[in-house]
Amino acid sequence: MSNKSTLKPVKARITDIRKMTEIENLVTIKFQNPEYAENFNYTPGQFVKLGVMGVGEAPISLCTAQSDNSELEFCIRNAGRVTNAIHSQKVGDVIWVRGPYGNGFPMDEFYGKDLLLVAGGLGIAPIRGVLQYATQNREKYGEIIVLYGIRSYDLMLFKDDVLHYFREGDAEGVKLYLSYEDQEDLVLNGLVSERDDRITNGLVTKLFAIMDEPADNTVAILGGPPIMYKFTVMELEKMGFTPEQVYMTLERRMKCGVGQCGQCIVGTGKSIKYVCKDGPVFTLWDAMNTKGMI
Amino acid sequence: MLINILEKENLVEFFEAMQSYGEVVAPVRATDNAHRFQPVKGIDELDLDYTRTMIPPKKYFIQPKETLFTFNKEKEKYLEPPSIDKSMVLLGVHACDINAMNLLARVFMEELPDKYYLERRKNSVIVGVSCTPDEKCFCKSTGTDYAQEGFELFLHDIGDKYLVRVGSLKGHNIVKDHSELFAAPEKGDLDAFKEAEKTRLSSFTIEIEMSGLQDHLDMSYDDPLWAEYAEKCLGCGSCNLVCPRCRCYDVQDYINLDMNTGERVRMWYSCMLKDHGLVAGGHNFRPTSMERLRNRINCKGSLREEMPNCVGCGRCTVFCPADIDFVEILQKVRGDIK
Repeated sequence: MSNKSTLKPVKARITDIRKMTEIENLVTIKFQNPEYAENFNYTPGQFVKLGVMGVGEAPISLCTAQSDNSELEFCIRNAGRVTNAIHSQKVGDVIWVRGPYGNGFPMDEFYGKDLLLVAGGLGIAPIRGVLQYATQNREKYGEIIVLYGIRSYDLMLFKDDVLHYFREGDAEGVKLYLSYEDQEDLVLNGLVSERDDRITNGLVTKLFAIMDEPADNTVAILGGPPIMYKFTVMELEKMGFTPEQVYMTLERRMKCGVGQCGQCIVGTGKSIKYVCKDGPVFTLWDAMNTKGMI
Repeated sequence: MLINILEKENLVEFFEAMQSYGEVVAPVRATDNAHRFQPVKGIDELDLDYTRTMIPPKKYFIQPKETLFTFNKEKEKYLEPPSIDKSMVLLGVHACDINAMNLLARVFMEELPDKYYLERRKNSVIVGVSCTPDEKCFCKSTGTDYAQEGFELFLHDIGDKYLVRVGSLKGHNIVKDHSELFAAPEKGDLDAFKEAEKTRLSSFTIEIEMSGLQDHLDMSYDDPLWAEYAEKCLGCGSCNLVCPRCRCYDVQDYINLDMNTGERVRMWYSCMLKDHGLVAGGHNFRPTSMERLRNRINCKGSLREEMPNCVGCGRCTVFCPADIDFVEILQKVRGDIK
């Protein structure tokens, strides 16, 4: 059973809420219909529409990898009307779901390759799904490098995962690098004294200077605010990444999730795309051929 | 293709026959210079000699505002509204509008079948009628001046008769059930049809070369022309509302005063409005009217199923309160005019 043939949402309940930052919560939900849960198949990079009855729906990235579908996690920033309503909900409350939508990252195509994950701010959410998928299927991928840019420790998302890989990732073949903007940040300055080869002050692009040279077969996977893509791509191009080696996930206004409502349109007469249906994951080649994409 | 002849003197009977298939909706002169599709009771109300209505007939398939679901918070349920069993005869639709609805049908009947669209199309009879282009029509350029499909019957004016093309089995059954109104075409009727088509096709006064237009648009991305037109544009979104192919929609939840029940409503939307590209947190992907105007023209000039996403009806030009001429923009994009 899938509800992808209708815009009618399916009922789930919130089973856990963890505060990640002042404005971001990690919300765990569970479908009420086990049959639906069983058939909810997705890949990292896809998204769902999460809704609160009477308020509306918002597109939210899946930030986990498919394993046991009984529960799903979402990193939700209190940024708009719907996410504000989700933030005011409690464990046990109903949340409405439809999806998954979009193409997601082609994790199968990345088999045997090294992965360079670059995330900025909230863009870590879909990237965390990729990281989880790759570590769950560790033998299928080569080395995993993660570059994560944040403003300050207070704003770091998925702190447990991030600190784990920062400190002990090497044992699992995951090198996690951190960049931070707030020079005064005590915790992050503390991390510098722990491992100064893995953390630097500045924007995420500064990490390209300190990271180990990626292998030729590396795939770069980007998640971040629009401004990050432009500068990250410049760095990647300098390192010799080709346009089909770079993947990115885009954010746009989306009402339907299925290419009908038209609000996530990008491109010119030559290259119109709907981010919800044709994306949200695109290659740099797509972006080069679709003006306005990044 | 099955064709029949309908004498114009039989038009009253034809109209009455059509009433047995549902409420007849047809173009009616609304003001001195505008027509609109609306329900009609008698043939004297409608006016088949029109150029374009302001609002295209898409309004009968995707209504400006409609309930997707009703909900009840206590019962934790979304309910689909009841099925639509009202039948409708859409009489007097021009080829451009039929071609526009053919694209809407792809979006709303095939990709993600929309309950409303499916039911309304199933319950409707579409009767096309031939037309004579005015100085703003350019459907010949967009290849949408002739309807190949998407109708039950299509009436071509050939003098004192109509040559009627049958476009569906439903249309065939209408002819069969009212065979007394129709006659088989004679050689002279076919000749008259060909002549009428020649006259129609030679009546266009404006055109836009569509070949390769998509690349021209892409190349013109940074052209100053967008800013020039954005200067005039009021950002009102009228062009979207009158466009037979615009289908963007917004979705809003409305809760009743009982704070328990309410509805999720879908409504026509406009890419010319500021929040079309706005996301939570305040970032806008098309923050200026220049970007919004450019996006709209590019969307219209793009190809959908090998056809431009514009059917050349001229509405956006005719009804623009700022007198922005769509064809003129495309001619500038092509470098035909400076």
